[in-house]
Amino acid sequence: MTVTKVVEIPLVTTEVPIGPQHPALHEPLLLKVYADGEEVVKVEVNTGYNHRGVEKLCEKNTFYRDIFIAGRVCGICNTVHADCYVRALEYLLDIKPNNRARYLRVLAMELERIHSHMIINAIMAEIVGFETLFMQIMLDRERVMKAKEILTGNRVLGDYMMVGGVRRDIDEVKRARIKDLLVKLKPRVEFYKKVFEEDETIVKRLVNIGVLKPVDVTSHSLVGPTARGSGVRIDSRASDKYDAYDEIPFNVITRTECDSWARMMVRWDETLEALNMCLYVLEKLPADGNPVPDEKRLPRIIPQGESYARVEAQRGELTYYVMSDGKSTSPFRVKIRTPSFNNIINSAFMYIGLSLADVPVALTSLDPCISCMERVTVIDLEKNTKYKLTIKELAGGKV
Amino acid sequence: MRRPKLLELVLQNLLRKPATIQYPREKTPIEEDSRGVQYADLTKCTGCTLCALECPADAIKMVPIPQGYEIPAKNPKRIYPLIDYLKCVFCYRCVKVCPVNAYIVTSKYDIAVPVQINSEEYSLSTVKKVSE
Repeated sequence: MTVTKVVEIPLVTTEVPIGPQHPALHEPLLLKVYADGEEVVKVEVNTGYNHRGVEKLCEKNTFYRDIFIAGRVCGICNTVHADCYVRALEYLLDIKPNNRARYLRVLAMELERIHSHMIINAIMAEIVGFETLFMQIMLDRERVMKAKEILTGNRVLGDYMMVGGVRRDIDEVKRARIKDLLVKLKPRVEFYKKVFEEDETIVKRLVNIGVLKPVDVTSHSLVGPTARGSGVRIDSRASDKYDAYDEIPFNVITRTECDSWARMMVRWDETLEALNMCLYVLEKLPADGNPVPDEKRLPRIIPQGESYARVEAQRGELTYYVMSDGKSTSPFRVKIRTPSFNNIINSAFMYIGLSLADVPVALTSLDPCISCMERVTVIDLEKNTKYKLTIKELAGGKV
Repeated sequence: MRRPKLLELVLQNLLRKPATIQYPREKTPIEEDSRGVQYADLTKCTGCTLCALECPADAIKMVPIPQGYEIPAKNPKRIYPLIDYLKCVFCYRCVKVCPVNAYIVTSKYDIAVPVQINSEEYSLSTVKKVSE
């Protein structure tokens, strides 16, 4: 690859670094914003502050140790990461979990979706300066965390997925308790949705900020609520129907407003959908045997082959590629592609034309998960030639 | 545009107790079966090292049972798993893979202490002391 275009920065602009200490979320990401007065003319997204080499770590560890490493790629979406990796292993081993395990997996993932969407909405309220709302949402989020603790045994890191099923079953008492918590949460979520729809502060700060046209969403391969907020109906739960999503009724939420507000509203509607799905799972939980596989009897060596699994994480489509050479107890290659990687790095064009104060709002509306995206380093060293990758090459589109 | 009734919510919260708790003085309410400190029961442990091999965080080290403790006959290598709780991620993989179900699980979670904390004391409390 050679340099095809060098972006010249006009001298009149001021360079304003947003981050890496606190760009919007409390995670390290540097947005190098070039501003002409108040108006943003160009944004460079700089990552690499949180790289941990998880893919290499997965190759060094055994298949089963990797289930827990995959869960620790991201704290907020840990069960979806583990589920995706576990399903990739199940494809290789040709194991199918029973119905109860599939339903319980969906329950764990949807509980996670509820708390993830609630926290990003809370952070959005904090970013626009509405701290009371932040505190209120975080307080109600504790109910979901409690439900997740009852289900998985830990508030945040579930470690719930295992090849062939899940790691804990639930009894009638736990079922009733989770149901009670979710039923109490539902009116609160409806109230917060109404606040986001009607409150002047929020509407003024979010509407028409960070507009992503459907055509840009498709050409820059943005995924998840970011795409659905622009009217692009993309959801791997609906298209792949993995786990028990083929039996559980749900709607794919889309909105046509294309701005930050639409993306946040998609999240609130999805939270309500996820609540309904959780209640459905708790009511119709099948009883076809034990969902917990005996971890001592699982095969140590995975047959040779490669598999590719994808899930709809809270932030969009998450994929795992696992390759096994059939000889060793550790994978030959694990490739993780997270939704935030697409959403954050490819969306630098979105900030252009915004005022400086709106940059954190636009960034937060994408629900960035920095620990998720810090995985890919582009290294392309040719003999004695050095080059820089331009933003156009990196983003594959507009600058 | 109509304002939602946030004022009502604020007034309600004025009369309510704080949602936060004074943690070290007041314990966080947790589930009885949530994943807390786990340790090996040395009367059951055979010293097979499987848990140390399977630990995703490399928190388990097999160490010899010190002098002065009764060594069970089923443990020919005379070793037991010593868990470093500061490294442990509490995934309970060790608990699940143990072939003899030797692990005792608790829901104890407050282990944030400035000194090195491991399962030595817990594990050794499961075997009798022998007076030499």
